[in-house]
Amino acid sequence: MENKSKAKELKDDFWKSKKLLVTTGKIADDIQGDSSESKGPTLKPSVTDLREWDMKLLKRYTPFYAPFCDMCCLCTYGKCDLTGGKKGACGIDIEAQQARIVLLACCIGSAAHGGHARHLLEYLIAEKGEDFPIDMGTNIDIEAPIMRVVIGKKPRNLGDLKEALDYLEEQMVHLLSACHTGQEGKSIDFESKALHAGLMDDLGKEIGDLAQIAALSMPKGEDAPLVELGLGTINQEKPVILCIGHNVAPGASIIDYLEDHGLDDDVEVCGICCAAIDITRYKPGAKVIGPLSKQLKFIRSGVADVVVVDEQCVRTDVLEEARKNKAAVIATTDKICLGLPDLTGVNTDKIVKKLVNDEIEGALILDPDKVGEVSTRVARQIAEERKSLKKLPDLQEIQEMAKECTECGWCVRVCPNNQPMMEAVTGAAEGDFSKFIELYKYDVCYTCGRCEQECEVNLPLISMLTKVGEHYVKDEKFNIRAGRGPVQDVEIRRVGAPIVLGDIPGVIAFVGCSNYPEGGEDVAKMAEEFLERNYIVVTSGCGAMSVGEYRDGDGKTLYEKYSGDFDAKGLVNVGSCVSNAHIPGACIKIANIFAKKPLEGNFEEIADYILNRVGACGVAWGAYSQKAAAIATGVNRWGIPVVVGPHGTKYRRLFLGRADKPENWKINDLRTGEVVQGEPAPEHLLYAAENREEATVMIAKLCIRQTDTPKGRQIKLNHYLDLHKKYFGILPEDVYKFVRNEKDIPITYKKEVINILEEVGWEPRALPQEPSLMKFREEKASDKGDSK
Amino acid sequence: MNERVIPWQPTVIAGPKQALLVTPETAEMMIVKAKRPLIVVGPLINDNPAQVLVSKIAEKWNIPIVSTGDAFKSLTEAGVPSKSYGLVEIVNLLKDPEWKGVSGEGNHDLVLFIGVIYYMGSQGLSTLKHFAPHVKTLTLCKFFHSNADASFPNMKDEEWLKYLEMLAKVD
Ligand code: SF4
Ligand code: SF4
Ligand code: SF4
Repeated sequence: MENKSKAKELKDDFWKSKKLLVTTGKIADDIQGDSSESKGPTLKPSVTDLREWDMKLLKRYTPFYAPFCDMCCLCTYGKCDLTGGKKGACGIDIEAQQARIVLLACCIGSAAHGGHARHLLEYLIAEKGEDFPIDMGTNIDIEAPIMRVVIGKKPRNLGDLKEALDYLEEQMVHLLSACHTGQEGKSIDFESKALHAGLMDDLGKEIGDLAQIAALSMPKGEDAPLVELGLGTINQEKPVILCIGHNVAPGASIIDYLEDHGLDDDVEVCGICCAAIDITRYKPGAKVIGPLSKQLKFIRSGVADVVVVDEQCVRTDVLEEARKNKAAVIATTDKICLGLPDLTGVNTDKIVKKLVNDEIEGALILDPDKVGEVSTRVARQIAEERKSLKKLPDLQEIQEMAKECTECGWCVRVCPNNQPMMEAVTGAAEGDFSKFIELYKYDVCYTCGRCEQECEVNLPLISMLTKVGEHYVKDEKFNIRAGRGPVQDVEIRRVGAPIVLGDIPGVIAFVGCSNYPEGGEDVAKMAEEFLERNYIVVTSGCGAMSVGEYRDGDGKTLYEKYSGDFDAKGLVNVGSCVSNAHIPGACIKIANIFAKKPLEGNFEEIADYILNRVGACGVAWGAYSQKAAAIATGVNRWGIPVVVGPHGTKYRRLFLGRADKPENWKINDLRTGEVVQGEPAPEHLLYAAENREEATVMIAKLCIRQTDTPKGRQIKLNHYLDLHKKYFGILPEDVYKFVRNEKDIPITYKKEVINILEEVGWEPRALPQEPSLMKFREEKASDKGDSK
Repeated sequence: MNERVIPWQPTVIAGPKQALLVTPETAEMMIVKAKRPLIVVGPLINDNPAQVLVSKIAEKWNIPIVSTGDAFKSLTEAGVPSKSYGLVEIVNLLKDPEWKGVSGEGNHDLVLFIGVIYYMGSQGLSTLKHFAPHVKTLTLCKFFHSNADASFPNMKDEEWLKYLEMLAKVD
């Protein structure tokens, strides 16, 4: 290991001499010793090592920019006005500025996952030791597909993960520094760096999830149990501890404390956002309140006696909100300290006393084990007294308050989705709460609180919404399958071929946050639509919870109805945000297990394989965070297309293909050595849809791949045509672009499709046997010759 | 500030360049002057009386219609022909000066938007504002769109439909 990193140090050196690398005997020997012959060209890729691949992607999927702001205010030369082709004082133009902000967002997102992984790893190493083995069980050999490709090593124990994390952190420093004024100047290179930040995000997530799966005995890809989900699952008579965020450590320690003290039945532990998912992966007895969209309304409900926050996506006013009903707040990581006193080193009895007596608003406790004890003891001591505080205004009071509304309409204008809050209020004034109920269900109002901030008569709109919801929508009891972590190698052996050949029409992953345009029901409906059609549906994070908060016509949740197998009609919850790593992970495994592509240092070949052959598509319908930006950009670099919801346009950049330009879809057939006309498949790499209907059709289309067999293509086209007909009333005009020869035409639509083909003067095409964006072997060899 | 010209969602305000507030008369002048106008209709006006008025505007000046989201179905059911694109796809095409337009005769020089989700429309308009100097944009929604070149003001339904009727009226 030591020698290898030495070689790397030299390689990373800006002033490196290539000659030195090849002529220094020792280093050359060391690389040999690490069997570098079997390793690909890009081990621990630097910021520019995968640039050539990025440029290929970006040529086909050109960045599409939608500036969110016309100006730049990053340095004191500014603000600079970048409209009308004007450049800033540093010389940057609007395109590069957008790309810079994208890179910045990806760096922030990736740093959040990397920092989270670092926290977890250090905690787990302290608990279990560096030598604690990473044993993923008998069904998984490729325990860390991303790390294998990027770092080129198999991590055997927790300590081995450190090398990957060190590399990641080094890359992140370089990437963030490129955002500084007067560094990178071209949008395309900012994008290449954003893609690199996305790759680091993938790596960070994999490290984090692997560490927690191994050390905390979370499910290792096996079938996981159903766990309770929803506000109605909480027994309010018991003391309630709420965990918000993403880091499992504090929640796990609470569960441990309860178990060790025989208190499991006496205290309710529940979570919001990914912390919830990960706690139930640790112990299925914990309860999931739901996605991020529940945060403010659950805090306002006063049900939680103690609110434990860790990291990411926590409302920054959580302390103020929790204090409104005297809940105690415990902050547990360096990311979120909330101005609270650091009591990490203080005796537990003292902390409990201070919190119970309300001497302090909350505490910062950076030792997860201590958090377990303090939060439990405090919750048990204050719960009784807080019972009266769990009451929100009653309906009569709400009606009276609603009468204050001046009908100014500003609550609707400032709502991110322009939801009809004013109508809800004016209705309530008349005793009609139906509009409030509509806003409450499926979190159509995701309680961001912007309307409340704006209301000129200071109506507590979220509390009003929460009360009405509590009153009318009592039994919010659902379930979710606990996150199972990775896809097993045995499953890949089973489904690798049908996915690549097209018999399984696609793998669709619903990931990300709850910034939905019209509530979480849309995500569940999309998942249902594709499950019914035999796709493999994967979920994670808030998306996984939204899918669980829905019942079909028979009153079943989709997790009850569909198995958790990674197979056609399977609904696989991989887990939390960090578990998203298993989605590209599964695609990488298909390339390795099914197609025998070597992993180590072989990024480009693997990504090229996934792009051209693996019919996978990510969907981040409610993407809001910088993490979601990094997640999408990360999977894009592996060649996996992503569809985001309408708010996704605010990320400022999409990657769109031009199906109307056949020359953009020329592809190398590595088998024949010929450049052939390929298809616009996948047509886009990052696409924002305006509504669920448009998204559903686009997702089906983005699962089409060049290597589908005629049977597979028929199946995929059948779904695409069906869905297009369902939501647009007719067959899609562009179907001819995906018919290579008559065998591809789905039987159900034969006549209609042939009519379209005739209209456009369609001609059959040859199928490329080994479609690739990579260079032909001879080209590569001549490049090498040139560089000598 | 005049309530009618604060962007409907006030925080989409992007910088110093703001849309020109237009009346139906000015809008008409813009359309008359344009060589190859296009109308983009989004799903917010599915099953809304505005659909019929838009189709009249299209007929009056023989302007092709592009539908976004799933607006195609609703428009077709209302007897209004359109060509379906994703909003981001049509904006991407419009920003390419070499694109031949929906009728294959050349890119459009004026695009009228109506019924697109407000904040997403605002992003699309921003793209065109910055990267498509060859395209002028005019929004016919009941919301002021600061990222357009020209926009109707914020209005209540009644006034808005009147605006559309005035524009649709054949003299
Ligand atoms: S970074 Fe450049 S564009 Fe931004 S404010 Fe400074 S000089 Fe202006
Ligand atoms: S809380 Fe947010 S989402 Fe809900 S109505 Fe108010 S502004 Fe809209
Ligand atoms: S902001 Fe307040 S006063 Fe204005 S319409 Fe909304 S609820 Fe009524």
